[in-house]
Amino acid sequence: MKSEKCEVQNEHRTAATLSLFALRTLHFAFCRLPRFTPALLMVVVLGCDSPPVHPATPSPSKVAPASAAKPVAVTLALNWFPEAEHGGFYAALIHNHYADEGLNVTIRPGGPKVPVIADVASGTVEFGVDNADKLLLGRVQQADVVAVMAPIQDSPRCIMVHKSEGITKLEDLAGRKPFTLAMNTGQPFAQFLMKRVNLADAQITSYPGNVAQFLLEPKYGQQAYNFSEPFVAEQQGGDPVCLMLSELGFNTYTSLLITRGELIEKQPDLVARMTRASIRGWKKYLAEPDETNRHIHEQNSQMGLDVLAFGVKALKPLCLPKDFTEDRLGEMTAERWQSLTSQMTEIGSLPQDFAKPDAAYTIRFLNAKRSE
Amino acid sequence: MKRLGPWLAQTVLPPLVLFAVVAAIWQWCVVAYEVKPYLLPSPLAVGRALVHDARLLGNAVVYTGSAALLGFGASLVIGTAIAFAFSQSRILRSGGYPYFIFLQTVPIVAIAPLIVRWYGNGFHSVVLVAGILSLFPILSNATQGLLEIDPDLLDLFRLNNASRWQMLTRLRFPSAVPSICAGARTASGLAVVGAIVGEFFVGYGSKRFGLGYLINSTNDQLQIDRLFAAVLTSTLFGIAIFGLVNLTSATILSRWYDGPVEHRA
Repeated sequence: MKSEKCEVQNEHRTAATLSLFALRTLHFAFCRLPRFTPALLMVVVLGCDSPPVHPATPSPSKVAPASAAKPVAVTLALNWFPEAEHGGFYAALIHNHYADEGLNVTIRPGGPKVPVIADVASGTVEFGVDNADKLLLGRVQQADVVAVMAPIQDSPRCIMVHKSEGITKLEDLAGRKPFTLAMNTGQPFAQFLMKRVNLADAQITSYPGNVAQFLLEPKYGQQAYNFSEPFVAEQQGGDPVCLMLSELGFNTYTSLLITRGELIEKQPDLVARMTRASIRGWKKYLAEPDETNRHIHEQNSQMGLDVLAFGVKALKPLCLPKDFTEDRLGEMTAERWQSLTSQMTEIGSLPQDFAKPDAAYTIRFLNAKRSE
Repeated sequence: MKRLGPWLAQTVLPPLVLFAVVAAIWQWCVVAYEVKPYLLPSPLAVGRALVHDARLLGNAVVYTGSAALLGFGASLVIGTAIAFAFSQSRILRSGGYPYFIFLQTVPIVAIAPLIVRWYGNGFHSVVLVAGILSLFPILSNATQGLLEIDPDLLDLFRLNNASRWQMLTRLRFPSAVPSICAGARTASGLAVVGAIVGEFFVGYGSKRFGLGYLINSTNDQLQIDRLFAAVLTSTLFGIAIFGLVNLTSATILSRWYDGPVEHRA
């Protein structure tokens, strides 16, 4: 009698457990999955561009507040393969500036079409590195991404052409035929260039990601960063010359440290520590780059030590332009953000009602003192 | 004609209903879970993008479509010609066939940039990529069709002292047509994929864009709704080509083969 009752109770319990389990499964399927399915769908849609695998990091909501005992694990997602434009962040890592701030930073290398903005906005990673134009494009699509630091003041973006062709400025490209120009036309700098310079006669093609075609064809130009591709092209016997986009007035902040608005709101201290350590890293990198370059070379063997050494030298005047002292490293101004916004609105990259870029960046962490 | 009503209800209606249901659930999920547009656009947003980009997409279909059709046509001719050669010589067949399997297994995304490097930037390189991708199914099916001949018919031709050429044109080719058509159906879809992959690496000019370009550039701009619109257009276009090839092969087969089959029966 007793045991029968027990069994009945047990059955009840099992049923209850089962239904609870079912409920949890349903809850997971309907409430959790939708957060991931879009990301999965994106991977499917973009096909060949599956995001690189990276070690799992604890989600920021679970991250404990600053404590000296246990370093906080965060991921910094790069927008390209490790190269000189990311040097300061690597310097902060290997010279323990991040560790000094109680951060355990994992740097996730990028590549073509790596979804930095989407990953930062959705909280997959805490921090990312990307350019100002990309950030504004993301904000139009309701990605809550905010720039907190701009290590590179002047854009290294250029069009690389052959010296032998006698082209000295971007305007010279107008009406050239035959001429092939390899650049990612979806990018605002390319749209801006096409708006300002008449390229109707040029053959415009995708950016190949290397300089092979450039070396083969004299009547060929390609998008480049002035601290990287030209060096490689010259090394391989080419005669590259850089036509800077900034000379045409299009000057985007490059390699911005970005995070998402929610993290700034909920864990300002974490963002402050990350920003502070990154600035220290950049100062270190510009002064003593060798050790960092060796590390970058280990991460990305395609980047020769000589290219990296050339890269830092070319980057220095871009990070610290004339009359720009080292203590201002990382600065951003309202004028610069506004002028980029206006230019991008003009070329149709941003909608007319985008208005002000005020929410796209914050300078409050630039001079945040250590709270010790 | 009187059976059009039920036919529509049976074949056209179900997919449309399924589409509406899926779109409704999708729309509901996007709204209910506040999915941001940079991750997944709502079907309504995709619809708006389709309307907004209609002219751009229409032009792109013309470029991508011509490249795909030219590539497909070339592979149909070349594939059948190589299959003819294969059907005539066992040595040729066993020597060459493995290398054509390469065409099927090579990662086209990896060699497309090389093709551009070798053959230059432009329309012809896109046609070439489309052709490479669609060649194998035709070659493979055509070879099989040319070899698998009714032994009785083969004996009949031999008994009548038919020449090699007569056997090829009067026996092998006619009996291979259904196989070639089957290969063409598979190849037609692949040609569209090939043209789009080619356009990832090749440009037509500053104002002329194919679907591959639009897929690339909308992704660069994080405009996922426009990306969906471009992908959707590519898919619909692929289906249209597939349908066209199906219709053509059905017409050919019914003309060519209904007679003999009925006669035999």
